[in-house]
Amino acid sequence: MGLTFSRIEGNSRNFKILLILLAGFTVIGFICFMVSYISGHHVLGSSSIIPWGLPITITIYLIGLSAGSLILSALTYVFGKEEYRPIARLAVYLAIILIFGAMIGIALDLGRPEKSWRLFMFFVLNNMRSMFALNGILYGGYFLIGIIYLGTIFADKHEFIKMMGKIAIGWAALVHMGTGAIFGFIATRPIFYSPIKPFEFLSAAMVSGLALLIIVVAATFKFTKRNLNKEIIFSLSRLLRVLIIVLAVMVLVDKLTHLYPPDREPTIWLLTGPYSWIFWLLQVGLAYVLPLVILFHPQYRQTFKGVMVAAFSVVIGIFGERFSLVIPGTAYPLPFYPGKIEGIWGMAGSFPITPIEFFMSLGIFTLMGLLFLVGLQNLELLPVDEIEQQTSEVAKKA
Amino acid sequence: MPRWGMVIDLDKCTGCQACSTACKSENNVPYGSPDDQRRRRDIYWNKVIAATSGTYPRVNTEIISMPCMHCDHAPCVTVCPAKATYRREDGIIVQDFRRCIGCKYCIVACPYGARSFNSREQKEEQYLRPDLPPDRNVWGQWPFPTRTHGVVEKCTFCFHRIDRGMKEGKKIGKEVVPACVEDCPAEARKFGDLDDNNSEVSRLLSSRAWIRLREELDTKCKVFYLLK
Repeated sequence: MGLTFSRIEGNSRNFKILLILLAGFTVIGFICFMVSYISGHHVLGSSSIIPWGLPITITIYLIGLSAGSLILSALTYVFGKEEYRPIARLAVYLAIILIFGAMIGIALDLGRPEKSWRLFMFFVLNNMRSMFALNGILYGGYFLIGIIYLGTIFADKHEFIKMMGKIAIGWAALVHMGTGAIFGFIATRPIFYSPIKPFEFLSAAMVSGLALLIIVVAATFKFTKRNLNKEIIFSLSRLLRVLIIVLAVMVLVDKLTHLYPPDREPTIWLLTGPYSWIFWLLQVGLAYVLPLVILFHPQYRQTFKGVMVAAFSVVIGIFGERFSLVIPGTAYPLPFYPGKIEGIWGMAGSFPITPIEFFMSLGIFTLMGLLFLVGLQNLELLPVDEIEQQTSEVAKKA
Repeated sequence: MPRWGMVIDLDKCTGCQACSTACKSENNVPYGSPDDQRRRRDIYWNKVIAATSGTYPRVNTEIISMPCMHCDHAPCVTVCPAKATYRREDGIIVQDFRRCIGCKYCIVACPYGARSFNSREQKEEQYLRPDLPPDRNVWGQWPFPTRTHGVVEKCTFCFHRIDRGMKEGKKIGKEVVPACVEDCPAEARKFGDLDDNNSEVSRLLSSRAWIRLREELDTKCKVFYLLK
């Protein structure tokens, strides 16, 4: 392979301004976290009715992006799709950053984050029947495997790369199905409770991870003034198309089963109630309908701009999907006793997004952005800027 | 080993909320405020709900007083990653604040809404309770005199009373009962050993029609409601 990778210089003024901006927002996010930690979670939007707020929504979103991104890197290293080689390193690095951000998100949501080490005392202090404890193994292992995987890629050890890639794919699928199981195994919450949830999460991960990868690749190549072989983007978009259909079918089946008795009310409430706009507009509209229309349109699907719009709409839409799962999933009042429950115990919860929660959540993203830029500066993630060398042999033939 | 359970007689219950008040003072549960209640952040170890069926003039409102159900198959125990909530040998589900990491998974899993997240530091004056009736001193201090925010709280069946009563050789269910049972003016609540055939709860359960809430989830809970 005539493909060499390099790091970026990072001397330009814009790059430095971006770094400072990201660092600033990260510090603001950290201050907001300290406020919520010291004075209690009453500064956040979550309550005893909607216990999980934005940080958990962001966490499962990021885990999805991460697992999807890692699985795609394996297209090159395991399945030998050479045309994706220029972006494969980036995908692995992105996956590591995203899982790190997800773990930060979990820590931000904990009421007692100083005790989060208890999540990693496997089999000793942990209740291993809990999906949360099992996911501790999965997330921690995933982070380690990701780092070793990237290490073998840098060291260019071919036989190990392929092996690590296989382990990483399997583990990434497990991570995401485990995350789905956190929600899918809760019989109390009809919106969560579904055996299809792990698989729905896995396909959502693939979709959002792929869409994010398209955006990140295009943005990085543009801002570092490298020439991108557009065929990579288009072939990725064809893959995206299939994955969106798989995801949409899974969500359709999930919602349809929930529209049958018993426990229909929460799902009907989700589809028609105050959160329905998130479901219909963000999840269905932006994540499924708009990208599918663009990617099947005979002209738009062949334009770079069209693919980018579709990818952006998927990335925003999948966030809507996470939000419309986590928040309304717990908001609907529990049916303690037959009949209409009066007073606050029969009312659906509401979730105000407070400034502290917003900036705390923004901090997760800026921290990841910071790590990403620092990584570009210090690791050899991007192919060198020579069109001849950048596109690999197979892609040139195609 | 006994298996503690509670029987609530819906025929006798008047919905006076004495159980809620007794619980708040016995266990030093934070007062809460109207704003807290509006935003669903106030802590209830015992709540009283009203379920209405029918429309005026053919209408019926059932008053259901709900402590923690102390399920034998407790969903909260299954999901807790840190073993912070666990089932004691006598069937009481307790919450250990020192182990709780505040992940709130148990709140998501509880089918009875019995769990509350403590989202703010308790004010100093809430620990010094001038409103406490003097006879509360009989049972001594609550085992966790100060609490911390960021953990999940729930009803304990007043296990501190039961443990102390057992140690002193008193009859649990007659001489020693949880605060809500003690304070119920209508004597609608009874507490005792479900495995003991001679206890009052067993006698009531064998002579009256009873239900448990949300039986469809197979939680095998230990709070029984006697029907009207």
